[in-house]
Amino acid sequence: MDVLKEIVNYVLNLGAAVFVPLIMLIVGLIARMKFKEAFSAALTLGIAFTGMTLVINFMTGAISPAAQALSERTGITLNAVDGGWPGMAAISWAWPYAFLLFPLQIAINIVMLIFNWTKTLNVDMWNVWSKIFTAVMVSYISGSIAMGFIAAIIQIVLELKSGDLWGPRVQELTGIPGVTVPHHITLLANIMHPFEVLMNKIPGLNKKVDADYLKEKIGIFGENEVMGAIIGLLLGFAAGYSVSKSLTLAVQAAAALVLFPMVSKLFAQALSPLSEAVSEFMRNKFKDKEVYIGLDWPILAGRSELWVAVIITIPVLLVCSIILPGNEVLPFAGIINLSFVVAALLLANANIIHMLIMGIITAPLFLYAATFFAPYITKLARSVGTVDIPKGMMLSWSTFESPDFRFLLSFAGKFNVWGIIGLIIWLVMFYWLYKDIDKKNKLNQTEGRKIS
Amino acid sequence: MAKIIVACGSGVATSQTVASKLNKMLKERKINSTVEAVDIKSLDHHIKDADVYVSIVKTNKDYHIPVINGVAFLTGMGMEMEFNKLVDAIKKADAKKGK
Repeated sequence: MDVLKEIVNYVLNLGAAVFVPLIMLIVGLIARMKFKEAFSAALTLGIAFTGMTLVINFMTGAISPAAQALSERTGITLNAVDGGWPGMAAISWAWPYAFLLFPLQIAINIVMLIFNWTKTLNVDMWNVWSKIFTAVMVSYISGSIAMGFIAAIIQIVLELKSGDLWGPRVQELTGIPGVTVPHHITLLANIMHPFEVLMNKIPGLNKKVDADYLKEKIGIFGENEVMGAIIGLLLGFAAGYSVSKSLTLAVQAAAALVLFPMVSKLFAQALSPLSEAVSEFMRNKFKDKEVYIGLDWPILAGRSELWVAVIITIPVLLVCSIILPGNEVLPFAGIINLSFVVAALLLANANIIHMLIMGIITAPLFLYAATFFAPYITKLARSVGTVDIPKGMMLSWSTFESPDFRFLLSFAGKFNVWGIIGLIIWLVMFYWLYKDIDKKNKLNQTEGRKIS
Repeated sequence: MAKIIVACGSGVATSQTVASKLNKMLKERKINSTVEAVDIKSLDHHIKDADVYVSIVKTNKDYHIPVINGVAFLTGMGMEMEFNKLVDAIKKADAKKGK
């Protein structure tokens, strides 16, 4: 037993860039991939890790001094650098139990389909990382790995139920039959739902807006290099940098925002043979059953409303980060706030005014969650072994996905009474949301039948 | 060589999953083309020098190049048909370029 323990410790001490590919190789071979293919995928994962370390270190290296100068000059202390979701997805794999989330998600989905507890067949294996991330956060905060797994199980079940719930609307908005988005990103609809009910009662808020036209006009601000340069320049000036130094920071910031997705892509590339094998297995298993195929949210990315709402909320998030008391996060790589907009698009059925209001009222929630979770994200990042975060600085994610849900899970996980009560209220609200949208789905269906 | 692009929300996950799958399928058919994943926010830049666009969203815009339904490669439904369409489009683009 001691020998085994020593071997495990030795492997873990090699650092994430070595042990994660090793696990990937073993998992690939178990999934009956050819050795050559499994080896190449494993190595790509190691490259992805190393590349992401470079980008995170480059980003913190460029931004930290400016953030510190800003703090000394103005007293605004924003000492958590934002690595965005690409950063979080990367470091999540460094958790030693990460790969266990694959079989967990698959098993729960199979059981729920067999018992007809869900209609959703989730073939999106990329977002297994979000379950890993939840499990890490909850296990760090509760001090119990088991609690991390229980939290992940709750998330997987709710994702599948969300898939059932949003299926008809996803199909209507995308024009793609038989699909849905079983992604926890939609869970934010839960706390926005009361606002949506209220906004539906206010007649002025249902005005039609030409989102396609607006997107043509402001779309450029959503492009990574433009946005990075603007934020870099603003940060440089705010930190009291000279013009030349500010311009340098602008280019560095643009570079970081362009490099993040480039490196993150390598993770998708490494995981794609595995995810392909799994989704084929799942589809074959249930090919005679009528299901919604669960895909990642970008099938909704053709809606201009989504991008208009995201771009307009960028300055909102920046301003909030400065004026909110207690906020410590400097929005950067995560500033494209997808974390509210997917839920808002579905909940408001593409009503752009409603979506914008939702983006504004939830902005503080994301920043506070980002501040709260920053020490734990930093701990995870440091466990990678090669990520270098300067003393006094932290790593975080300004648009921390599912802020309410993960916060409550973390507190319930340490048996905090308020956490447990909060989670119960959250689940009751989810039940209300489910009933309400389900009713609207059915109403739509019968109306559709009448017309045809 | 024809240039094929797939776009998704950030040019990272969904698009790269489709791109990897297509690259594998094209290799098996011995077709010398590569598929690149791009960010949908910058689609207008990328589409300028592309020959085929594999879309995972519904689009009413006219891109002046063949558009293939990329969702088929995620759900597995109608995949063969879309792949044949892609192969045809690649062959046409290659012929036009005179290789």
